[in-house]
Amino acid sequence: MIELHRVSKVYSVGPVKVPALSDVSLRVNKGEFVVLTGASGAGKTTLLRLLYRDDLPSDGDVEVFGHDLGALKHRDVAALRRSIGVVFQDAKLLPVRTVYENVAFVLRVLGTPKREITQRVFDALRVVGLSSRAQAYPAQLSQGEAQRASLARAIVRKPPLLLADEPTGNLDEAMEDEILGTLRDIWAGGTTVVLATHQTYLAQALRRRTLTLQSGRLVKDEG
Amino acid sequence: MLGFLIGEALRDLRRAGRVAVSAIVLITLSLAALGGFWLLSANLERAVARWRERVRIIVYLKREPAPAEAKALVEQVQAVPGVAGVLYIGKAEALASLRQLLGKDASVVAQLPANPLPASLEVTPAAAAATPEGARALVERLSTLPEADEVAGSGDWVERLSQWQRLLTTIGLGIGIVLAAAAFLTVTTATTLILHARREETEIMRLVGATEATIWLPLLLQGTMQGLIGAVLALAALVATHSLVAPRLEPLVSITLGLPDLAFLPPVNVLALVLTGALLGGMGGWLVRPGREP
Ligand SMILES: Nc1ncnc2c1ncn2[C@@H]1O[C@H](COP(=O)(O)OP(=O)(O)O)[C@@H](O)[C@H]1O
Ligand SMILES: [Mg+2]
Repeated sequence: MIELHRVSKVYSVGPVKVPALSDVSLRVNKGEFVVLTGASGAGKTTLLRLLYRDDLPSDGDVEVFGHDLGALKHRDVAALRRSIGVVFQDAKLLPVRTVYENVAFVLRVLGTPKREITQRVFDALRVVGLSSRAQAYPAQLSQGEAQRASLARAIVRKPPLLLADEPTGNLDEAMEDEILGTLRDIWAGGTTVVLATHQTYLAQALRRRTLTLQSGRLVKDEG
Repeated sequence: MLGFLIGEALRDLRRAGRVAVSAIVLITLSLAALGGFWLLSANLERAVARWRERVRIIVYLKREPAPAEAKALVEQVQAVPGVAGVLYIGKAEALASLRQLLGKDASVVAQLPANPLPASLEVTPAAAAATPEGARALVERLSTLPEADEVAGSGDWVERLSQWQRLLTTIGLGIGIVLAAAAFLTVTTATTLILHARREETEIMRLVGATEATIWLPLLLQGTMQGLIGAVLALAALVATHSLVAPRLEPLVSITLGLPDLAFLPPVNVLALVLTGALLGGMGGWLVRPGREP
């Protein structure tokens, strides 16, 4: 489902080169639940961004669903992103739309019938425990709520692949457990899940395959 | 999907706010100017067409021919190219119509020692000869008749009217184009503002898999909406002005131009105005498409 072959990523900030990933190779099969861990700045977000083709690697190849992302045409990029649910680290909610509209948006661009949209959006909001906040705007949400809205948007399309970037980053323990439970349910429903987190204890608690990044290098792949 | 796109377009339109309002006002002005001149020129054109039909060339004869001669002459003139019809008017007939024209003053005619009016041929030019050149050529041809004394009436003034009408259309088009250019630039500005205001949103939309069409179709639509709203407002203004002014102007128009009424724009022009509006707005929205990501 996912294959990285000797992938490196170097950001250029003016004349400064910031290495974010160095020579990373890995493979994630369909139906796996993978935890991507490492300290802040280790390159987790960068790796996920390469998977939904938000950016291209400086070196190496990225393959998702059997497509070489470096060779993907523009309109195929949109199609790729529609089959991947992403929980963004910074939520990335549309600012002038309510939580409901934000989640509904990804269904509307698919041309889903309106009646079905209402049903599915409320299902997704119930799963993340945000039903009561459906009419709130992003600015009115706590960071944790924003992240849950982002998760609801990511799962509402029931994508074959879910990428979650620090989805528990700003949550208390109870909420954390709930989100992890949600991810596990989605995974049990057949979705491949990649969860990025800097909280190493989460990786241990989940008892799933864990990839550890350190300064952009893949240093451990276990479980 | 269409409902979704229209919803997004309306959202964009609201975002452009006052600039969109300016764009709509400018579109309204340019289309109203264009439509106003069209309206005047369409009515002048009707007048020209009416007068063209009435253009007659009179061939005054040197002497009154005998009935048989007259019949032969009519047939001869009938055969001249560019002639649609010929009517022979004898001296007596001419006098009779003069008497009729004078009405109660007809007694003046009775005091005349002799009938001073010449016999004449009233020639109706064929449609092809009803142009200035055609009429002039026909007059020349008729002047070569040995029986002809003088040939009168070429419909020159009708042609001058026609020139005025064309001038009016051109002026209208000129003013319309200048205003339309301003309107177009304003639509472009409004769309650029929208694009700027929703930059972050566009970015997020792309990340969650919105196609480029979903991103720029609303922009195109909001531009088209500006144009359509402007066109509808311009038409409303034209209808209102026409229904207010036309009844007051009609007596004057009927005396000077011989038109019974001032007609509103024909449906083709109404349609053209609406399409021009939609096109102006649509193009403005289309030109400012968001750039693609790398
Ligand atoms: N857009 C960017 N431009 C420049 N440097 C970046 C950018 N994004 C991330 N980096 C740098 O790349 C490295 C990896 O960052 P990131 O992938 O966000 O790590 P993580 O998600 O594990 O915290 C960091 O040193 C970070 O500062
Ligand atoms: Mg990160």
